[in-house]
Amino acid sequence: MSTVAQIAPPRTSLSTLPIDQRRGVYAMWSVIATEAMLFICMFGAYYYLGNNKDRWAQESPPQLRFPLILLAILLSSSFVLHWGERQLQGPVESQRFGLARIALWITVLLGMGFLALQGFEYYYHWSELAPYSDAYGSIFYTITSLHAAHVIVGLMMMAYIGVHPRYGTTIRTPHKPYSTIALYWHFVDVVWVFIVIFLYVIPNFQRMHHVH
Amino acid sequence: MTTISAAERLTSLWETPKTTRGWFATVDHKELGIRYLVTAVAFLVIGGLEALLMRIQLSRSDLTVLSPEAYNQIFTMHGVTMIFWYASPILSGFAVYLVPLMIGARDMAFPRLNAFTYWTYLFSGLLLYLAPFIGQSPHAGWFAYVPYTLTRYSPGLGMDIYALSLIFLTISTTGGAINFIVTILRLRAPGMAISRMPLFLYSTLTTSFVILFGLPALTAACIFLELDRRWGTHFFHIAEGGSTLLWQQLFWFFGHPWVYVIFLPATGMLSLIIPAFSRRPIVGYPFVAIATVLTGVVGFGVWLHHMFTIGMSDIAMSLFSAGSMMISVFTTIQVFAWLATIWKGHPVATASMYFAVGSVMMLVIGGLSGVFTGIIPVDWQAHSTYYVVAHIHYVLIGSNVFPVFAGFYYWLPKITGRLLDERLGKWSFWVMFVGFNIGFFPMHILGLLGMPRRIYSYRPGLGFDSWNMVVTIGAFALGIGILISIINLLVSLRSGVLAGRNPWNSDGLEWSSESPPAPYGSVHIPLVASRNPLWDDFDEEDDPDNDRVLDWGRLTPVTTALDANPIGLATIPGDSLLPLIMSIALFAFFATMVFQMVFTALTMLLITFAIGCVWMWPRDVKEVM
Repeated sequence: MSTVAQIAPPRTSLSTLPIDQRRGVYAMWSVIATEAMLFICMFGAYYYLGNNKDRWAQESPPQLRFPLILLAILLSSSFVLHWGERQLQGPVESQRFGLARIALWITVLLGMGFLALQGFEYYYHWSELAPYSDAYGSIFYTITSLHAAHVIVGLMMMAYIGVHPRYGTTIRTPHKPYSTIALYWHFVDVVWVFIVIFLYVIPNFQRMHHVH
Repeated sequence: MTTISAAERLTSLWETPKTTRGWFATVDHKELGIRYLVTAVAFLVIGGLEALLMRIQLSRSDLTVLSPEAYNQIFTMHGVTMIFWYASPILSGFAVYLVPLMIGARDMAFPRLNAFTYWTYLFSGLLLYLAPFIGQSPHAGWFAYVPYTLTRYSPGLGMDIYALSLIFLTISTTGGAINFIVTILRLRAPGMAISRMPLFLYSTLTTSFVILFGLPALTAACIFLELDRRWGTHFFHIAEGGSTLLWQQLFWFFGHPWVYVIFLPATGMLSLIIPAFSRRPIVGYPFVAIATVLTGVVGFGVWLHHMFTIGMSDIAMSLFSAGSMMISVFTTIQVFAWLATIWKGHPVATASMYFAVGSVMMLVIGGLSGVFTGIIPVDWQAHSTYYVVAHIHYVLIGSNVFPVFAGFYYWLPKITGRLLDERLGKWSFWVMFVGFNIGFFPMHILGLLGMPRRIYSYRPGLGFDSWNMVVTIGAFALGIGILISIINLLVSLRSGVLAGRNPWNSDGLEWSSESPPAPYGSVHIPLVASRNPLWDDFDEEDDPDNDRVLDWGRLTPVTTALDANPIGLATIPGDSLLPLIMSIALFAFFATMVFQMVFTALTMLLITFAIGCVWMWPRDVKEVM
């Protein structure tokens, strides 16, 4: 069957190629895609349940100060973690593993602060709004606590990376755990940005529209 | 001389020891693929027996073989089993076995994840089949509409098991999809550019993306259902501002793409089998590839056609009706490509080809009845009648079961090393084909006569009796046909003719290895120069300097996503018991959640995380450097 169209394949030598450690990051991008879709479904449910109901004409929406402080915490944690990631770039000899580890633990502390403040926010609002009050309460708490669950998972993974031994040429995982987990953490932060917009900022604007 | 020792070194690196521990710890994609296939066929048999029970009950009017509640539970278990635990996993089984061989990789990108997804698939099925043993099976059909599934109308644990075992299964399916995406995009043999991939890889890749973007809707719906049932929320309670249609929207946003998850890999298999037995490359390769991808994309825009009867605006109905019709164009492109391939080729009548051509015929019938139900007035008439049952079975059996059997007759010689009996295979085909059409075509008529689906019995004198008897006879014939093939397989394992490397003289890389393949695939990583590597005059394994043996570690080349230029070597982890242990911990989590044992469940979740930590702990890999 020599009628089959042929193109000469690349003749790169295989045996001298470097070890590739990027599969973990590709897998994490896939995880992020599917998790993002989960949150999109949640936001879709939020708007579907709110459809044809003008809730903010009567009720006051959740206060803006908590989510904005939380946003500041998360965004700064992302910057810290990104700085830590950059300490690990370049050849193995010039990587500053200690600094990267410190950045990781600062991020963990900030994430714990996030969880504590969000817990206080729940406590603060609980008497007016609880998951079992009505459908809005159900979806509000489901979205925010699903995000909190992602934060918890992120913190646990970062704590795990934080106690990892330093790995180099002979002791290592097949993937790059630090950048993989950092990618996940940035994703969790971005989700919070959307939660702030959809669940806090827009309702407050709608409320302003009704009051004035 | 060097080749022999290289093969020995590769074997010692890649072979799983034949011990009890090895059996549980293996991460070999070939072993796991076989397990997927065997487990999925077991679910096919279980679901098939449930169907036969239903057909006995419906064979005549006013029978009392099954009580109404038992009938409800059995048709629900039949649907859930077939759609979730047979139809998609069987295709995963083929893909797990074949994808690394087709792309010339030594294993999947994440072999331990591969083992984990198999075990979670098995355990989620066990969780579902816990339900009949505690006497509380789900009973609301495979799409479980609220409010019937809320605690007020379904107080038992059946619907909790439904929701939680589905969430459990989504973990398995999503993990598998990620594994396929990274494997297909990164581990293809040097030279296998994206324009030269076997079409089965296009369909598996599309399906994997559809899973990534479609399954979260099911997860969200099941989370809402479980929260509403046991934890006091109000997503589906209208009095508290909830919406019962929210379930339908989320479920079908997942549900219709899922149809393509079940359907596309099977068409990908046909796109390999039909050209192989027509003795020529497929006609219109790029069109088939693009049609496959577009089916996956447009499949996300048609879900409302399952809900035309709920009352919606004309513009929404028109858009989704048009979308549903448009998607048939893509399927038509594939069908015409297959027909043209047969027309222009020199077809060989093997049992596999019989199944392939038979499935194309039934796919066309099922597709046409789908076009009918895409027309809104017809849909209003046919909705929730046996017409829809006929349609779904023509599409699913025509586009899944028959291609899967074609795939069995085509690839089992590669997997077992022995050919199946052709004569018995053709008998099996004819019995299945005739039985299927006798069994399901009259359902169209029953539906148009007005027989609703999901009724446990019917009164005499409505004109349903004789057609239902015909349907029952056909269903049993279909079961006998499947049984013939299973017997054929068991006989061939013992006394089949040895297959050799390439019994069908096919074109794909999977046929260049021995049958069954060595644990490492091929000694030299192949180079690919065309779409039909074994039909061109380029020698894929020509490697005079032993540059592509990679026998000093568990390694496989990493290539670029589009052009497949080699850029690195991937280290492939070895056998591990952790995937199995982690699946058991997750099973314990979901099983305890069914009984709302929160603290035990949370403990199980923490244990799962701890196992994951051990799994990912850095290891000494001195031999690589």
